[in-house]
Amino acid sequence: MKQRARLRLAAIYVAAALVLAGTVGPFLWLVSSSFQYERQLLNRPPQWLPNPIVLDSYREIFEGAVMGEDSGVPYQSRIFLRSFANSFYVAGSVAVIAVMAGAYAAYPLARLRFRGRQVLLFAILASRLIPALSLAIPIVLVAKRIGMSDKIVSLVFINLSFILPYVIWLLQSYFKTIPMELEDAGRIDGCSRLQVVHKIILPLSLPGLTSAAILAFLLTWGEFLFALLLSESPTSYTSTVVVSLFATDVDVSFVSIITAGVLSVIPPICFALIFQRYIISGLLSGSLKG
Amino acid sequence: MQSGIATARKEMSQGALALFFSAPAVLIIAATILVPFGMAVFLSLHNWNLKRPGRERFVGLENYSDWLSDSDFWVPLRTTFTFAILAVAVIIIIALLISLLLNERFPGRGVLRALLLVPWAIPSVVNALLWKWLLNPQYGLVNALFFEFGIITEYQNMLGSMPSVMIWLVIAYSWIHIPLATLLLLSGLQTIPGDIYESAIVDGASIWQRFLYITLPLLRPMLSIVVIFEMIFAFKVFDIIFVLTAGGPADATNVLGWQIYTETFRKLDFGAGSSIAMLLGAITLALAILFYVFLDKGVEQ
Repeated sequence: MKQRARLRLAAIYVAAALVLAGTVGPFLWLVSSSFQYERQLLNRPPQWLPNPIVLDSYREIFEGAVMGEDSGVPYQSRIFLRSFANSFYVAGSVAVIAVMAGAYAAYPLARLRFRGRQVLLFAILASRLIPALSLAIPIVLVAKRIGMSDKIVSLVFINLSFILPYVIWLLQSYFKTIPMELEDAGRIDGCSRLQVVHKIILPLSLPGLTSAAILAFLLTWGEFLFALLLSESPTSYTSTVVVSLFATDVDVSFVSIITAGVLSVIPPICFALIFQRYIISGLLSGSLKG
Repeated sequence: MQSGIATARKEMSQGALALFFSAPAVLIIAATILVPFGMAVFLSLHNWNLKRPGRERFVGLENYSDWLSDSDFWVPLRTTFTFAILAVAVIIIIALLISLLLNERFPGRGVLRALLLVPWAIPSVVNALLWKWLLNPQYGLVNALFFEFGIITEYQNMLGSMPSVMIWLVIAYSWIHIPLATLLLLSGLQTIPGDIYESAIVDGASIWQRFLYITLPLLRPMLSIVVIFEMIFAFKVFDIIFVLTAGGPADATNVLGWQIYTETFRKLDFGAGSSIAMLLGAITLALAILFYVFLDKGVEQ
């Protein structure tokens, strides 16, 4: 029997090693490539680990931000840091606003009885079924007409609408887990509904609010379609747009492209690993990335 | 008594309160989803090309009937189906295998589960960049590995021809979609009570029989949800196409999402673009409903 248990564990670890290699392998290769000289990247067979560790491509991006056009630094590298800041701005604003507006919208859906509750819940969910591409067409048209194209505020607003249904859904299911008695006790003590939300529901929902905010941040950080269609210049490019400019340009060196890729996933990957508990619980309470 | 007064001083009715609380969120959603949706329907019924301003006119369902008799709709539709079916199959099979592994108890399980979030957190555009590098025809890691292991005798352009471009597109796309499917299936597996398995073992059921007659039927509700969501996502695929293949080579990966993009934002034909986008939406919705009904029936049996 002991033999069997040992065999089972060995089989599990072989499988786990395969999963591990498949999960982080491709990304680690990207990181390893980013620390090499361009000419080392052209080696056959490939050089697995950087030797020496080369930081030139990183320096190029950090210094590029303050370099002029004639510095020889590729255009994409020069605008990358700006786009990075834009991404933080957009994703951060969306996370904060979505959780605030979402919490108020989720409360009645979780706790109040009113006509049309089911309809509202369904409509909010169904809005996610409409392909973003079909909405993008009129949105771009209107944004250009009213002069809201090429502004990051527009990106905040648009992303908000795609994130909100998701946040509302997540929070209303979280609110339902808070015992009704606590709320009733507050009501008996004379709290208004608004006070109940502020003093009882929200403080007790901190884990739920945190996972909603983190998910909102991550989903917005990775958004590409609207970021592409609603931006025309570096003032409003987000990092995903600049990454696409890198990746589709054959004149830029591989190592610059790769480094941009690595840099633009550092925030989401750090977030994901630090807050993994919140993320997993948020993901499992019904919902998806898309 | 105090509380009696508090409730007597009637606040708003629950309905009014609900309206008040949800107003900001509902307004944002309405402004950016419902209104554009209405406009998209409007555009789809018009001749509306930005290259020919001043010639906008109502054409009824003409855009739709044009698409339905055009191979530029049917060929991308078939490509979309091919891509979606392959991608969903790959995602579900691998996610199921990984979730079965993670459902076992072993030291290090939590770490492995957490690391699944690495591909999940990678934005689709960066994922496309990553695979573009891995699949590089001269210097890519995939070429190097295949060459070293003797699978190929010379380096190849994996994205240069069918069917390999479709296969690699599916792999690249699936790589970031497998983690979420895995976590969802794992949560489904964990709701299956352990004593069912124990009594099955007592009855002499093999591991394969246990999987087929216990795990699979009990996992079916979660499995169907994941299949539906992944199907909807795969039908809307766009980001990875934009960076990795741009619909090529020679339209081999021209899915509906890409066709809508080129029609609207390159040819600037907003009427035609809106109508084909509507068709994509309708197909996605129809599939979701079909799957829901079909898979739900399966659960009842």
